[in-house]
Amino acid sequence: MRKSLIIPILGLVILGVSTFFFFNKGEKRDNENVTLPASLFSTADFYDMKTLNQKELNDVYIVNFFASWCKPCLAEHPLLMELQSKGMQIIGINFRDDEDNFVQWINEHGNPFFHIIRDDGSIAYEMGLIGVPETFFIEKSKIQKKVQGPLFYEDIEKYL
Amino acid sequence: MKILKNIYNLFFIFFFFLFSNLSLANINQLSEYYKTIRCLVCEGQSIQESETEFAINLKEQIQKKYESGMDLKDINQELISIYGEEISFKPSNDHFILWGLPLLLLVIVIFLVRHKYKK
Repeated sequence: MRKSLIIPILGLVILGVSTFFFFNKGEKRDNENVTLPASLFSTADFYDMKTLNQKELNDVYIVNFFASWCKPCLAEHPLLMELQSKGMQIIGINFRDDEDNFVQWINEHGNPFFHIIRDDGSIAYEMGLIGVPETFFIEKSKIQKKVQGPLFYEDIEKYL
Repeated sequence: MKILKNIYNLFFIFFFFLFSNLSLANINQLSEYYKTIRCLVCEGQSIQESETEFAINLKEQIQKKYESGMDLKDINQELISIYGEEISFKPSNDHFILWGLPLLLLVIVIFLVRHKYKK
């Protein structure tokens, strides 16, 4: 082999190896690092003032962020009611909302939530929320799926 | 009347800084930091400029953490671990391939061309 070819070949090898490592590193996205914050379980329910006992929870449950000022939340509300009627436990987190508006909203549209808490934004921050509505599907204490924006029938049919 | 209004404003500003934990320097440091954080709802803007609920909440949470004594570096690290690298406008140093690749390709091409013309 000619000597002058060694450098380009070496260059290509370095390029190949570093590209391999670069792409193998994996991106930290899609809530890979997000875990359920402790404050989710330590915050008392808005109505019965009880905190959430993790033993009461099924293997599969849902965490749903909503607000009374959010129109798409209203669009997905019937689906949450249907999920609840099929026995799904839904933890509702009322995100940065006025208390009176929130109570009125629940009275008007129904309460599908197993546990309902009000959040000033800190739980949302810890769970990497981008906007309401946002829904996390939890299986065995791990976030399995996240739906940003309103739920559609396809998102929940597996759980019905 | 104008003088009275000015005095009132001065008093307001004085009491605002007296009772708030943030000094002017800290406010500046925080707003400079906000400029490096991308609003994920309206991706062209930083959270400093954005008025979305996401940006407002993020600013509040960052300020809370900052006031409780957390370092901006640690806050940044936490943000990246929650939202991914796209949250920051400042790329981390481990993207060396992105910067080094054109240079490396240039060197390879020069050697290949030289090799061909030597023949």
